[in-house]
Amino acid sequence: MTKVGVYVCHCGLNIAGVVDVEDIANYALTLPSVAVARHYTYMCSEPGQRMIQNDIRAHKLDRIVIATCSPRMHEETFRKAVSEVGLNPYLVEIVNLREQVSWPHNEEPQRATEKAKALVRMGVARVKLLEPLERQSVSVEKNVLVIGGGIAGIQASLDLANAGLKVYLVEKAPSIGGRMAQLDKTFPTLDCSACILTPKMVDVAKHPNITLLTNSEVTKVKGFVGNYEVTILRNPRFVDEAKCVGCELCTQACPVKIPDRFNENLSQTCAISIYSPHAVPKIATINPAYCLKLKTKNKTVCGKCVQACEAKAINFDQEPEAIQLKVGGVILAVGSEVFDASRVLEFGYGRFPNVISNIEFERISDASGPTGGKILNPKSRKPPRSIAFVQCVGSRDKRFHEYCCRVGCMVSLKQTILAREKLGKKVDIYVCYNDLRAFGKGYEEFYRRARDMDINFVAGIPSDIRSTADGSLYFDVFESGTNKLLELHADLVVLANGLVPSDGISKMKELFHVLRSRDGFLLEAHPKLRPLECSTAGIFLAGACQSPKDIPDTVAQASGAAAKVIDLLSSGEIELEPLKAVVDKDLCSGCRICESLCPFVAVEMKKEEKDGKEELKAEVIEVVCQGCGLCSAACPTGAIKIEQYSNKQVLAQVAEAFPAAAHKGGSHR
Amino acid sequence: MSLTDLMSMAKPNLESREKIFARLCGRNFLNCYLCIKCTSGCTALKLLELKPHEIEKLVNLGFVDELASSDIIWTCATCLKCFQRCPQKASPYHVIIALRNLAVEREAKVPEAYMKAVSQILEGGLAEQPQKVANKKMETCDREGLKLPKIRPPKESFQTVFLKALEEKPS
Repeated sequence: MTKVGVYVCHCGLNIAGVVDVEDIANYALTLPSVAVARHYTYMCSEPGQRMIQNDIRAHKLDRIVIATCSPRMHEETFRKAVSEVGLNPYLVEIVNLREQVSWPHNEEPQRATEKAKALVRMGVARVKLLEPLERQSVSVEKNVLVIGGGIAGIQASLDLANAGLKVYLVEKAPSIGGRMAQLDKTFPTLDCSACILTPKMVDVAKHPNITLLTNSEVTKVKGFVGNYEVTILRNPRFVDEAKCVGCELCTQACPVKIPDRFNENLSQTCAISIYSPHAVPKIATINPAYCLKLKTKNKTVCGKCVQACEAKAINFDQEPEAIQLKVGGVILAVGSEVFDASRVLEFGYGRFPNVISNIEFERISDASGPTGGKILNPKSRKPPRSIAFVQCVGSRDKRFHEYCCRVGCMVSLKQTILAREKLGKKVDIYVCYNDLRAFGKGYEEFYRRARDMDINFVAGIPSDIRSTADGSLYFDVFESGTNKLLELHADLVVLANGLVPSDGISKMKELFHVLRSRDGFLLEAHPKLRPLECSTAGIFLAGACQSPKDIPDTVAQASGAAAKVIDLLSSGEIELEPLKAVVDKDLCSGCRICESLCPFVAVEMKKEEKDGKEELKAEVIEVVCQGCGLCSAACPTGAIKIEQYSNKQVLAQVAEAFPAAAHKGGSHR
Repeated sequence: MSLTDLMSMAKPNLESREKIFARLCGRNFLNCYLCIKCTSGCTALKLLELKPHEIEKLVNLGFVDELASSDIIWTCATCLKCFQRCPQKASPYHVIIALRNLAVEREAKVPEAYMKAVSQILEGGLAEQPQKVANKKMETCDREGLKLPKIRPPKESFQTVFLKALEEKPS
């Protein structure tokens, strides 16, 4: 005979402030098979858990219903509590009285209590049909794949490698360094970005536990947590990595000039070039889209770089190379893009050469940039006499991106300070803002520093930016502090472009079946409690691919993600959740619907002999299945089901939800 | 609302505020965070002192009555810049048009030019009568001189429909 215990949690006043918890507990006692029903202030607390454990021992309870917060919050806590006293952890049912009752219905306490009773009744009906399940252990590969060689990927790789794990760091550009390598100085300390980043880049290249794969991309992923099989495509550089010494003689010889991507197309480089002055590895790469020989596929054309190269490193016959790897965990650190301001038509970016983006300003201000660190107008090549910064371009704007970019304010403050330091007192600097957000450690002090440097802060955003015939810019802005319409003339306008999801993010979504949040960035498993991992087991997140981030936050998250991977792989084996799909082979018709739907590629079709005939049957690879239930919902014959969510178990709940309908002769399978 | 405008001792009118809200077709003045981009670009600001962000904020706080009987809401040139450029899709333009509707409903004084426009539409189908223009050689020409087709008067049924639409009060 099944004996059910029902426990109603007050959650302080979160639940008890709306629904009548005592009434619910009393009601639960009237339900069939319920032996004990109690309510308590905090069921998840130590005395709360002990109360359940004592009851299991004293009353020989074999099923537990806990009416409390969301199962995402404490299901694991309660499973652990009951297994400590010998009950199978999968015989616990969580009824969500907080997110589904007291919070949304706080204006109707009576009807909320009625709903809570119905949910408890449904939970009791279901818990009686649950079956004990066992967790499975599998061994793991102690290798890690890190995708993206920006500061996030670099930091995570170094932490993992120092902990003794083998790391494969994949970067699609010819050099690691990412966005941070393009920056001049960093807020709030004004450290030179290259000075603090380059040593780390060199450490990555030298570390015996790190295999650096630049000019490469992940093309295929198979497997599951602890045992991922990954295919990486190494795109040809057409330069022998072992021979090239980075002398740049080839670059001087190359006749083809192309826009320099590292300098945001503000200067030119050659078809054969080294990616950046601090590139790691410092090896030349030929761009096959521009190289005369590769573009025309004619062996007699050009070949000036071959003549110039003393190391004989140039090899036009290089082919793309696919590498197979087995890794236990993956860190996604693919970063973000800078918003394309030409979409904001009224600001004239792309039309007016003197309207530039904040990342272009970084390159202009950087000593290794196109102007050698002198702040000059892109068009006239003269130092500007006045500079205006316009905040929130493409961010906090419902036409483009609703979120705050989290870096724009601080970037502009830093750039005003750099401009003041480099151009002196005679230049006028304006910042047009609507909220200036300086929230981090030392950030407000940094804002103060900018204010003390005679920067004009204008509370108001211009409606549009206009250009005079000579290319200088002017605009009207209504200043809310003074209630006056001001006209501002500027030689240079810098738009504080926000950070937006990159193409890499959509590629990661396809490869790893990870989710994206509404803003387009990669979604973490829980915004507060599991911010470093995806909901797919074994995939972790670092840096701006999860949400826009500055460098301190990125480095912190990267180290955190590395620690999570070490935690996952350190013991050499992992336990898997047993809530998987199972196939009833007798019912399976081999229609392959489940196979086509499964987002984790966990269903395989196997041929089987039956009565001398060959039949196709679905088979679930248990370790790959994440228990999402898509297959079960779509199966036309009901052959595939999720453990603990069979039709019988779910329909018992449905019948209890509508007791009146059940009495009218509604029957269920 | 426990709010008083100490300049005029006015109190918020929440009923009218609701009415305006209903006419905004999902565009929400509550979203305005006062970036003042609308006023920075307002066509009617320099000559007529229209400040769309003030109107947006006043309606948000419920000070509708003063606006509905004011002349300022009639100065909007309906250039739609604020509507297109508003980062919060709050559109002061829609608020101003809703205020104008409220003013008509309350039979407040509507500027002469608007009444004239209404009678012109009724008679000729156009808000403005065709005017003579000057070309580069400073010669004045009319439509005929520019070989543009004649404008035909509207069909009789148009007047009936238009009058009916004017009489109907928005719900």
